[in-house]
Formats: sequence, structure tokens, C-alpha cells
Amino acid sequence: MFLEIIEVFTSGLINGSVYALMAVGLTLVYGVTKAFNFAYGSFYNLGGYFAWVLLIPLGVIGGYFSVFFMAIPFFFIVGYLLEKVLISPLRKYDDWEMKVMMLTLGLSLFMDFGYQAIFGPRIKSLPGIIEGTVQVGEVVLFQQDIVIFILSLSGMLCFWWILNNTRTGMAVQAVAQNPAGAQIVGIPKDFIFAATFAISTMMVGFGGILLCQKNFVDPMGSTDIMIKAWVITAFGGMGSIRGSLYAAFILGMLEAFVGWYFGMIHVQIATLTLLLVTLAIRPRGLMGRE
Amino acid sequence: MLKINKLNTYYRESHILKDVSVSVDRGQVVIMLGPNGHGKSTLLKSICGLVEKIDGQILYDGQDITGLASDKIVNLGVTYIAENRELFPYMTVMENLKLGAYSKNARGNEKENMAWVASLFPKLMQRQNQLASTMSGGEAKMLAIARGLMSDADLLCIDEPGLGLQPSYRVEISQIIKEISRQGKTVFIVEQNIPQLIEMADKIYIMEEGGISFEGGKYDVLNNEQLKEIFLGL
Repeated sequence: MFLEIIEVFTSGLINGSVYALMAVGLTLVYGVTKAFNFAYGSFYNLGGYFAWVLLIPLGVIGGYFSVFFMAIPFFFIVGYLLEKVLISPLRKYDDWEMKVMMLTLGLSLFMDFGYQAIFGPRIKSLPGIIEGTVQVGEVVLFQQDIVIFILSLSGMLCFWWILNNTRTGMAVQAVAQNPAGAQIVGIPKDFIFAATFAISTMMVGFGGILLCQKNFVDPMGSTDIMIKAWVITAFGGMGSIRGSLYAAFILGMLEAFVGWYFGMIHVQIATLTLLLVTLAIRPRGLMGRE
Repeated sequence: MLKINKLNTYYRESHILKDVSVSVDRGQVVIMLGPNGHGKSTLLKSICGLVEKIDGQILYDGQDITGLASDKIVNLGVTYIAENRELFPYMTVMENLKLGAYSKNARGNEKENMAWVASLFPKLMQRQNQLASTMSGGEAKMLAIARGLMSDADLLCIDEPGLGLQPSYRVEISQIIKEISRQGKTVFIVEQNIPQLIEMADKIYIMEEGGISFEGGKYDVLNNEQLKEIFLGL
């Protein structure tokens, strides 16, 4: 029993760390632009397919090392272009936040069906980053899980560092806290919006590679990820990065324990119940402001 | 230094500024007086690229800056200091000041400007790790001015710094503006709650209903009983 709980806890921790990596990106976009990117889950899948294309048909030298190395600039550019080409033209409208939601919802459908058209409707599995197990006392851990945990944690630490120690990171926070103030000190909003989309797309793409190699690439799997990311963002407090960090780990644990005790079929209901109860008691979420 | 020709601005259906022409020379302190809601703030915001629909011409150092994006204008050395402060609430005093020097033109002189700001606002420096949202109205105002100075601007457009403040803060603000001007900065200020400022003014404008209704030197205002009473409460 005790051993089992440790295993469930570890699985919650690992999933939580990847969720945190992805949800923080989505929260950042919301915090800065006040618009919600509903195509976020489809970019998660883009991560999966990106890795699949490089590893299987192309058989890239260096394996996952090359995949991550190329994924960072690739997703940065994809996110940047997403904002510049599709989002930015909408910003001249008063209700552009609503228009962005509709656009990204459409984009998400387009991408999901695009994946089916290009890669076929069947799920694809990726080779594991690393095989084998480690034994700590009586607990057996997969090396793969340890790598996922370390990579998503380092991803988050990088993000945290960039946000708090670089001029652009501080400018991103400034726009999130007070757009008018940011404009006054001369922060170019256009650049910051595009940078925010670029960073968040990079994070979700990275998370997609990590989780898809653990599970599989499912062309219709984006909805599930989108719901998770949305629940974490709302539960943690819209726009609060610290809130979504906590929320991601709570959700990871909840999933693991509910799945273990009641069965996987109850996981989605449990997470949505958690969200509804939280929002009923505390509409601004765990750490949302105002 | 700053020359505005026939500026018109619009907000939704309203025509706010109507053919406003103003000129400010380098090193001057120019004060704009006038009743509330008649367009004074809009004028300052228009200069700094913070108003969307504008028409007319704004020349800064001979360069046409009409309709330029705010970040480009800040980079040219023009800064707006907002009446409602517009600080970054969840950042510390120091982080707010550093973001004041975000613009490219300010980065090279960040250290010197920080030292200058520290000498002008010793109280802010004692609170450098405090969050901006936890400061009192007067302190926050000081921080807004200090952040504006960090931008290394030559022209400071200061919007009602004394509004809603205690008399002691108003006196402090007038001393600070004197010092800013002594450093060779040009100050274009909307303010009518600080009579001491009039003493420093090189030129005074009065704006009513979106247009300039008076332009003159400080003695023109001080010698005109009606203007004195209406706008300075003297």
C-alpha cells in the first residue's frame, strides 16, 4: 500500500511538472494580452508531431538531443509568427480579445484536422527518451520519468529567470501589470505581445514532446490538453503565474490519486469538479488578483 | 524644441482638442492651466503618442512626431508623467525605476540617472524594495516622477502632479520641478494646485473647451485679477 502511494505520488509529480511548464505559458499569454489562446492544445500536439517527424521518417542524428535543440527555435518562431500574422491584425478592434478566442478556436480545429489529413487518424508512438529503471530503496522509478521531471523543471527555471532577470522579461511583466504604464515608459507592446506568444508556444511545444514520448501522439488529443491547461489557468487564478504553478501540481496529484483509487475514467470529472468548487467559493482562483 | 500646429484630437464621437497650437523652447518651464475635462491631459498625451486619433502637426526638435508610436517618442527624449501615476503595482520601487530606463536612449545613462533620482528622492531610496501598490498616494506620485526622470528625457510632460496631494507634497513637487529645470530639462506641465510653480513659469497657456484661450508670461496672469482668481485661487 505505502509503496503504491509513493508510485502514485511520483506519477502525479511528474505529470504536474509538465502541466506546470505548459500552463505557465498559457497563463503568461492571458496575463499579458488578456486574450485566451484556445489553440494551445494543438501546439502541444505540434510538439509531438515535430518529434515524430524528426525521429521516425527523418531519423535525425542525435535523437532527442537534436529534437530539443531544434524545437526551441522552431516553436519560438512559430509562436512569434502566430502573433504577427494572425493575432496582431485583430488588435485594431475594440473587442479583439473575443476575436482572438474565436480565431484560436478555429485554428485549433484546423490544426487538429490538418494533423489527421497529413499523419492519418491513428495515434503514433515515439521512442522513449531513455529506457530503464532506477531503484531507490524499494521504490522503482523509470529513468524516463526522472528525465521528464528534470527537463520540465529546468524549462520552468529558465522561464522564471528570463521573466525576472532580463529587460524583456521585466517588460513582459510590466505589460501584464499595467499596459498604460508600459506604454508610458516606452515598452513596444507589439514586440512584447509577439515575444509572449513565442515564449508560450515554446513551452507548450517542449511539454508536448515530453509528454507525447511518454504517452503517444494523438491527432485529437489537443482537447484534453486544452481542458487541462484551461482548468489549471482558471483554478490557479487567471494570469497568475505562481497560481498556475501550484494548480498544475495539485491537478497532477489529483489526477494520479483519483485515477489510482477510482479509475482513470473519473479523472476528468474530478478535475472539473475541483475547478467548479474553487470558482464557486473563490471566483478569482487560487492566486488571482482583484 | 516643441512646436504644435493646429492639433485636433478625437475620442469616439467627441472632438477633444480643437486647432491647438503651442510652442515650448528648450529649457523652459511652460504651464498649462484651465478647467478640468477641457483637454489639458489629452494635449500632453498626444505629444507622447498616447492618443490614437490625432490630426495636425507636432514637431519635436524639428522632427515630425505626429502619430508616432509612444516607444519611438520616448526614445527621442520625450516622456509623459501620468496624473494617475500608472505604476507597476506588483513590482518594487527599484524595479519601477529600472523600467523607467527601458527605452534605448536611457539605457546608457541608467546609472547616472539613478544617482540623480536618488539625490532628488532620498525617501524613495529608503523604500526601494517596497511594492509600488503599498505606497501612499504622495509617495506613488514621487515614484511616477522619478520613473519619468529615469527615461533620460529632455522634455518632460507632467500631468497634474499636485492633484489630490497634501500641501507638504505640493511644496516638495515644486522644489523638484525647480531642480529638474535647473538641470536643463524642459518641462511642460499641467498643474493649477501649486501656486509656487507660477513663479518658475516662462510661459503660461490656458485651455478652455479644447482650445487655447490665453497665452502669456507669468506676470500677465499674476496681474490679471480675474485669471488669478479663477485659476490659482489667489
